[in-house]
Amino acid sequence: MNALLVLSIAGLAALFSGFSHNKKLAVIVSLLGLAVAFTVNVLDWNTAVRYYNDMIFVDNYAIAFTGVMALTMLLIVALFVDYKESVEVPNAEIFALLFFSLAGGVMLVSYSNLLMLFLGIEILSIPLYILAGSKRHTLTSNEAAIKYFLLGAFASAFLLFGIVLIYGVTASFHIETIAAYIKNANGQPPALLVAGMFMLIGGLGFKISAAPFHFWTPDVYQGSPTIVTTFMSTVVKTAGIAAFYRLFAYAFPAITAEWIPTISVLAALTMTVGNVTAVFQSSVKRMLAYSGIAHAGYLLIAFVSISSNPASSVLYYLIAYAVSTVCAFAVLMVIQHTTGSEEVDGFKGLSKRSPFLAFITTVAFISLAGIPPTAGFFAKFYLFSGAVKAGHLWLTIIAVLNSCIAIYYYFRVITAVYSEGTDSTPVELGTVQKAVMIITAVLAVALGLFPEMIISLL
Amino acid sequence: MNSLNDYLPIGIQLIVALGFVVTTMVATALLGPKRKSKKKDEIFECGIESTGNARVPFSIKYFLVAILFVLFDVEVIFMYPWAVNFRELGLQGFLEMLVFIAFLLAGLIYIIKKGALKWE
Amino acid sequence: MENISAQITQVAPLEHYILLSAVLFSLGVLGVLLRRNVIIMFMSIELMLNACNLLLAAFSAFHSSAAGQIFVFFIMIVAAAEVAVGLAIIVMIYRNIHSIDINELSKLKW
Repeated sequence: MNALLVLSIAGLAALFSGFSHNKKLAVIVSLLGLAVAFTVNVLDWNTAVRYYNDMIFVDNYAIAFTGVMALTMLLIVALFVDYKESVEVPNAEIFALLFFSLAGGVMLVSYSNLLMLFLGIEILSIPLYILAGSKRHTLTSNEAAIKYFLLGAFASAFLLFGIVLIYGVTASFHIETIAAYIKNANGQPPALLVAGMFMLIGGLGFKISAAPFHFWTPDVYQGSPTIVTTFMSTVVKTAGIAAFYRLFAYAFPAITAEWIPTISVLAALTMTVGNVTAVFQSSVKRMLAYSGIAHAGYLLIAFVSISSNPASSVLYYLIAYAVSTVCAFAVLMVIQHTTGSEEVDGFKGLSKRSPFLAFITTVAFISLAGIPPTAGFFAKFYLFSGAVKAGHLWLTIIAVLNSCIAIYYYFRVITAVYSEGTDSTPVELGTVQKAVMIITAVLAVALGLFPEMIISLL
Repeated sequence: MNSLNDYLPIGIQLIVALGFVVTTMVATALLGPKRKSKKKDEIFECGIESTGNARVPFSIKYFLVAILFVLFDVEVIFMYPWAVNFRELGLQGFLEMLVFIAFLLAGLIYIIKKGALKWE
Repeated sequence: MENISAQITQVAPLEHYILLSAVLFSLGVLGVLLRRNVIIMFMSIELMLNACNLLLAAFSAFHSSAAGQIFVFFIMIVAAAEVAVGLAIIVMIYRNIHSIDINELSKLKW
């Protein structure tokens, strides 16, 4: 809860630091705010307190995911120090919006009342609509903003109607009261409640870009400034998945028979659509968007095997995905700046231009593809073995087949890096930029070597 | 709970209201004398001769002020439940409301400093 | 509260509220899917939100619990914030392309 306060105040501080003549002040305030938020968040470990008349329940689950999101955003803000792409909104506003969005994310991972779920989603999304359009005079950015806005608002209306229907049946917004009501119904929940639950699946499925609600994702990711895309595909995805998982782990564990078939189909569809479409993309940014969809599909497997896949494997997967994605996007930003293109061809000859960048790219994409000894491999391993234990063999087979497709398109980038290129001018890197790349790459490998660090947390 | 009978008054009201409108419109069209001339067909605007199209774009500044007004105006609805329960919520409720107002005020200060309310 | 609850269900049973809200909500959905003018799509979304508000108020009276009505306040605030951001985005686009037809925006594949 303290993290929530710190983040809100830090957001305001970042906003007002824009009036200072010192242009670096906003970055410094943001980094400081995030560090403080992370620290006060960790201090709450193992306390499990209910705040605001039981609107928010800060348990270890909430603290772990809040920590992940704060650290990921710290890395992204650090990338801003050497960021070159023209964002026409001043930095201070960007940071403030990121902070407010993160505050929404914190509500999403710690809610115990559906009101907080709704508010969290809105607080997370509304700043993102603005951020997506922050290249004001670029048509693609405008388009990303309006599409994200219209479809986002559309999806939240569905989510809302679902919440209302559940309230109508159970007379409560509190997830534990709802769970108790369902338990008393002895496996015969009223139709209205089930309808409400499916509308919630639709609304949340949109936020985590699960197929068939994924259509906005590639367009929005491609049109937004790359640094905003990085935020969307890491922090926002973490918040969405964690909120989704929390809902099903707390509110609907008694009626698994009602939702497991639907989520299984969603999972299979999401990973297949994501991976197969990613193969045909020539733009790396768009490819990463589709790969993000695919990863959401893998994560949905954790929901159907909720009995044998504890929250820790979701947490581990999300951390592995976040560090690899931040690393990949950091490289992409450099490529975009130096070659002016975000195509796979832009990566050609990178090994000549900068062996360091070539190595970092390799680690990032190997981890995304899920090849040992990186974190990406163990993340998939824990998830899939949990699914097998729960008896979802066919879903696991589809997931493994999909991982093989994924290896193909991730390796297209890696082979481009080591092939001959026309351009051979060396790449200049900023110090902070380099540091972020090293940290994420090291994490991607270290977490793979010592997965117990995370797995034993929850 | 005989629902159809309950709606009967609404139905009657609807018929009366619609019937009045339709009757008067038809009656005036049929009974009234019609004289057409250039002066009579002109658009009447307080006796002033009308100029130009009504759908001209107006300054974007109105729009900005309108949006900001809506935002700050709507926030007031949180104060009604708080005011009703003012005594029960006590000091803690008062402090929480102060925090809420402080955040709103920060927003107001921001837009003033940005110059969003300057007309020139 | 009980008084209001009794009165409300006396005038019309709860099913009617559910039906009316569902119809309004569906109209909103159809509006978003069929219309191509951004402002009208936007108004349809507001219609969907208001269908939720109506249903919340009805359920709140039916269950004699104030939580639903408080939720309505939050929806109104969120809707206002969305209006502000959405209209700002629409103005930004209008300045660039002088149109608010969603089909004009097809640089990215939809």
